[in-house]
Amino acid sequence: MRVSGRGIFFDGATSARRAVLVELSNDGVLIRDAEDRDMLARWPYDELDHLAAPEGVLRLGWAGSRKLARLEVRDPTLAHAIDERSLPVDRSGGVARRGRLKVIGWSLAATASLLLAGIFGVPALANQIAPLVPLRVERMLGEAVDTQARKLLDKGPPSRPFECGTGPGEAPGHAALSRLGARLEAAAGLPIPLEVKVVRRSEANAIALPGGHIYVFEGLIDKSENADELAGVIAHEIGHVANRDGTRSIVQAAGLSFLFGMLLGDFVGGGAVVIGARAVLQSSYSRDVESAADRYGVELMGRAGGDPRALGAVLGRIAGANHPGMEILRDHPDTKTRLKVIDDLAKTTPSQPLLEPAEWHALKRICTAR
Amino acid sequence: MTVENPVDTPPAEEPVPPPNGARFLGNEKAFWRLLRRGAVLLLVTLGIYRFWLATDVRRSLWNHTEIAGDYLEYIGTARELLLGFLIAIALLVPINIVLFLTTLSSGLLGQIAGALTLVLLGLLGQFAVYRARRYRLTRTLYRGIRFHQTGAAWRYAICAIFWWATIGLTLGLAYPWAQASLERFKLRNTHYGDLQGQFVGSGTRLFFRGVLFWIVVVGPFVLGLVVAIGAIDWDALGEAMRRSGDDVMGRIEAAGVVPALVVAVLSFAWSAIAIALLYPAFQAMVLRWWLSGLRFGALTVTSRLSTRAVYRLYGRFAWLALLAALALGIAAFIGLAIIGALETWLGKGTLTELLQTAILIGTYVIVALVYSTIYQATVKLRLWQQGFQSIELAGIEVLDGVKATGASGSAVGEGLADALNVGGI
Repeated sequence: MRVSGRGIFFDGATSARRAVLVELSNDGVLIRDAEDRDMLARWPYDELDHLAAPEGVLRLGWAGSRKLARLEVRDPTLAHAIDERSLPVDRSGGVARRGRLKVIGWSLAATASLLLAGIFGVPALANQIAPLVPLRVERMLGEAVDTQARKLLDKGPPSRPFECGTGPGEAPGHAALSRLGARLEAAAGLPIPLEVKVVRRSEANAIALPGGHIYVFEGLIDKSENADELAGVIAHEIGHVANRDGTRSIVQAAGLSFLFGMLLGDFVGGGAVVIGARAVLQSSYSRDVESAADRYGVELMGRAGGDPRALGAVLGRIAGANHPGMEILRDHPDTKTRLKVIDDLAKTTPSQPLLEPAEWHALKRICTAR
Repeated sequence: MTVENPVDTPPAEEPVPPPNGARFLGNEKAFWRLLRRGAVLLLVTLGIYRFWLATDVRRSLWNHTEIAGDYLEYIGTARELLLGFLIAIALLVPINIVLFLTTLSSGLLGQIAGALTLVLLGLLGQFAVYRARRYRLTRTLYRGIRFHQTGAAWRYAICAIFWWATIGLTLGLAYPWAQASLERFKLRNTHYGDLQGQFVGSGTRLFFRGVLFWIVVVGPFVLGLVVAIGAIDWDALGEAMRRSGDDVMGRIEAAGVVPALVVAVLSFAWSAIAIALLYPAFQAMVLRWWLSGLRFGALTVTSRLSTRAVYRLYGRFAWLALLAALALGIAAFIGLAIIGALETWLGKGTLTELLQTAILIGTYVIVALVYSTIYQATVKLRLWQQGFQSIELAGIEVLDGVKATGASGSAVGEGLADALNVGGI
């Protein structure tokens, strides 16, 4: 039985539009010129390419050719007859739908895998990479971060030095700080030289930058009641240096930017997902890092012969003034948890104050006696 | 259809004679369905589905566009887009690392790193725009012949950056000449088979048609800014800023800042309102100018796009956006209620906070996706439709004898454009 009908044919070599007769033979579609009946093409059924087209048009190509010849059939009965004979022609769209479902399934799996990579992979990778970064590179990094950090933090008038302890009246305080720093440094025995400085910022805080720079804020000295409390915080910051947390956080941030900034999120509203996911993940990384630094600080204070619980005491006092907020966005663990961990770790060995009362008195005035 | 030896009795049905225009025969309902499903899948796959959605949208637009009696065909696939994206990511990683290290390095290099990054990303972005255009053209088929694009993308990128900088420096006055020059570059390098494109739109003509828009929108803004800057006593203000202590505000007020601020805000508000009201007219004018400037060999295009039609489609968008705002307001209210209730159901804890954050971000993303969907289905689709239906072709005989030339073009999609977020339809 031969079936035939009308169609429109483009041969792929020129844009001429030809009215054709389409004949369905046993093994393929025969395309003849409507006028002179010349055979224009013969396409086997299993090599037909079913192409997207508007409703009511069956658009076919030939997969076996590099030319983009096209046959358009608008006659529904003829289209149906071709569909019945050819496997690749799928007018119901069932094959396409199944393919699409597969794509959706794999996309969901990819999303889940990327989220898992963000939660577990990036911190694990950072832990592996951070110790491999040479100390020389870390110090260079430290210099660059140091310049930027100073620019960000130094809000005072240019006439006032950002660092405390440079004025003649502040010299005893500076000497005391150096002694305290030296004791902790000796106990820590790190391959990087440490530089502890007090700077004019009113917050009760301290920060450690890559490469061994530690900045103690003036506000923290005001809140500390004795030298061991201050030493406890510095020991915590030395923990960051020892664990190379600055480098680690740079690697983590880069990893997260790559995962969420580049691979995901290039769609409307995706920016919010990226920012949200990064904030939550980065805070969670940071909480882990802080706990590790707490443990190191307690241990270091024990080794230096100071009071390991002093860190807990000053933390408890500072936290009193803290604002409540979402815990998952906080970069430090809950203070209660921190205090409990510090308390559990700290052994009740007898300790001596790390500085003489006179030295502590001088240190207290390191920013004020100019 | 006939059975058994039909060759002798061909059916009476004749192909429709090709008209001199174009039509868009897309079904808007189907388009909405496509976008709706796409938005949901974008949400749950965090955007990975975008390659498939973009391909579906293009297929739907191209395949329903009939020019002189025949449909366009889009032959790109989502797989190509995905592959191109992955390759672009791989290429961008080292560039990003170098840029990152430059910002860290001290000295002059570190100081200018920010500006350097901006220029480099701008260049890369325009490079990607041109390459993406090439991809779309080579995936566009008409009567079995594909389009293609020649020309070096880096040259286009340099020209584009130069013109955009000029537009910025002239506060938009250079826009007509920039457009004309860039379109000339693009069309000169656009080919349909062996038929070369050409752009004959004149920048000067566009300038004189559009300069009134500029005077209404930008003029008062510039004037306001000049007046505001002139009204402030800069020496007094500097002094007030330098001398901290009591009554800084009082001295700042004395420097004439308040009236200047009022003038600046008012002129800004004027410009914003003028843009909102005049943008459809501006867009219609530019689109008309652009379409009427297109040439392919002896084929000429004239567009009679009516400004009113463009206003109507934006009006419809505004109306749907308003309805969506009402619906989303109710949804957001329910979302907030759930966020509040979670604390009583689950108690305070990490899980509650994670869920709350997820709901909050989810709500935002849903709002953004809803508006983007409405925009695409009303403004983009209708503009496409109105644009094509407004054209009148002359010299369509050339379309009968075009010969196929040009390679299939990049097999790897428009990756760089996608990775740099500069893709279009």
